[in-house]
Amino acid sequence: MTIKNHLVKRIILTLITAIGVTIIAFLILHLTPGDPARIMLGSYASEENLEAVRAKYNLDKPLHTQYLVWMKNILSGDLGTSIRYNRSVGSLLGDRIGKTLLLTLSGLIFSVFFGVLFGILAALKRNSWLDYLATVQAMFWISMPSFWLGILLLFIFGLKLNLVPISGTGWTALILPALTLGLRQEAWFARPMRAEMLEVLNQEYIRAAKAKGLKYYVVVTKHALRNALIPIITMLALRLPWIIGGSIVIEVVFSWGGMGTLLVNSVLARDYPVVQAILLIISIAVVIANLLADMVYSWVDPRIRMEG
Amino acid sequence: MMSEINTEVNEEINVENIKKELSQLKNKKTSQMSLVWRRFKSNKLALTGFIFVALVIFVAIFAPVLTPYEPFATNPSNRLMAPSRAHWLGTDAMGRDVLTRLFYGARIALQIGVLIILFEGFIGILMGVLSGFFGGIIDSIVMRLVDILRSFPVIILAMAIAGIMGQGLYNVVIALGIVGWTTYARMVRSKILSIKEADYIEAGYSIGESTFSIITKYIIPNAIPTAIVMISIMMPTALIASATLSFLGLGVQPPTPSWGSMVAAGRDYLLQAPWISTSAGFFIMFTVLGFNFIGDGLRDALDPTTKH
Repeated sequence: MTIKNHLVKRIILTLITAIGVTIIAFLILHLTPGDPARIMLGSYASEENLEAVRAKYNLDKPLHTQYLVWMKNILSGDLGTSIRYNRSVGSLLGDRIGKTLLLTLSGLIFSVFFGVLFGILAALKRNSWLDYLATVQAMFWISMPSFWLGILLLFIFGLKLNLVPISGTGWTALILPALTLGLRQEAWFARPMRAEMLEVLNQEYIRAAKAKGLKYYVVVTKHALRNALIPIITMLALRLPWIIGGSIVIEVVFSWGGMGTLLVNSVLARDYPVVQAILLIISIAVVIANLLADMVYSWVDPRIRMEG
Repeated sequence: MMSEINTEVNEEINVENIKKELSQLKNKKTSQMSLVWRRFKSNKLALTGFIFVALVIFVAIFAPVLTPYEPFATNPSNRLMAPSRAHWLGTDAMGRDVLTRLFYGARIALQIGVLIILFEGFIGILMGVLSGFFGGIIDSIVMRLVDILRSFPVIILAMAIAGIMGQGLYNVVIALGIVGWTTYARMVRSKILSIKEADYIEAGYSIGESTFSIITKYIIPNAIPTAIVMISIMMPTALIASATLSFLGLGVQPPTPSWGSMVAAGRDYLLQAPWISTSAGFFIMFTVLGFNFIGDGLRDALDPTTKH
């Protein structure tokens, strides 16, 4: 299979997934038997208000019609209206999406950087105390719920030591949430990185490079690292939903005021237009990221290109 | 005439041989299991994990014997008391003994964890077997569905579902299981694909065994190690995710003592009574760490080639 065929196939699969994702986000509201209008407005809503919501969301029409109308609106940029804020969901998200992106990206950069670093060190100093430490610390972070890690960091560095602000905006306020997100995710990169590095270091071409008399750090950085990093791209795409999910929870701990806080409040307030829109945006972002990762992967690793 | 008899005899011998080989295969498996157990036992971390989990199970079972207090008994005059001889981990905002609630919380955590594993494991293994064994259109549909569901961060989709269906133990199980099964399905499917190629499957067919008996006699038993590793990997995820839902107010509802909601409740008294949040989170970490150690040990024991 040529690279072109491979890409076409991938794009078609991505489109199917994307459509499926929209269907799930749409169906969420119809999960439980019962009147969606009542679910949204609560059991004390007046018949008048219920009728208004039913008309607005076409709830009296068949399901597939509702879906098509919903999709048509979304494609034309209308994400619906928040019941709680009585504002367009688009503008609500516009205020907050930047903060969530900032937190997610900071956590991502932190986790990849330290994950890769720990992975490499553990592989190079295999079976040393450093290797052991890298494994154990990874295990600890993975075993801590992020909301608790956040609270601990907040308690120690914010409340006890007064080193960083416990809420608010600005770079210093970003430190603790990004650290919480990064530490927990770092472990997911450290271990595959270590395994990959160990495998690459055993390859013929590394031995050949060493035999040529190249300096050790040149062998490691130029030859081994470049190849060992390739699977990290896939790992990145795989972990993305978890990183976003993590940042949503961490936002609540630090009152970060991004999409996460909005999502949790909207779920609790049954503000479903907002919930559906956030579900949709996040999942579509994941779908696109997966496609990109696949494209980058086949671009950097010619072996994949050949095999298809 | 002579040749006809010869082939018949040959066939009979062949069938006998194959049957013998198949039964040998079963014997080999038992010795393999004891080998796995020996490897597991010699792994210090795995043994530590085993002790951790055993301790949690112990306090869950014997909670009423281990503590003189009731998990629901409030006492306003005792509120936010610091750890003391009478209350080892202090009391909460309603004057309830924290340690008592943590012990009873172990029941809730384990119950949810096991239910999630059973629910998602059943669906996932079934889907994985169907998809891997039959391939074709079934495989395509199942794998597309897996792709679609995995585009959502687990916690976000679970939040939305729990929000719609209402809080409570069983809804947490359903909300997390709806996404969780995909991990099993993928792993089991790829395992089945590799088992399908094995000689003993062909051998089974050649002695006239039915598809059903092939699946139940050879495929499922051979996929069990994969499933065991899966469960030990998924248990920490299930525990953390359900605790997260409780923390966000979307899981098991107070006054039921769940660790996640205890962390949330203690958050408001972080300066006055840090023991509430910290100790509840510690119990989550302790349990998850235990399962992670076990999972790691099992993975190494079942597949020593992946070990470092």
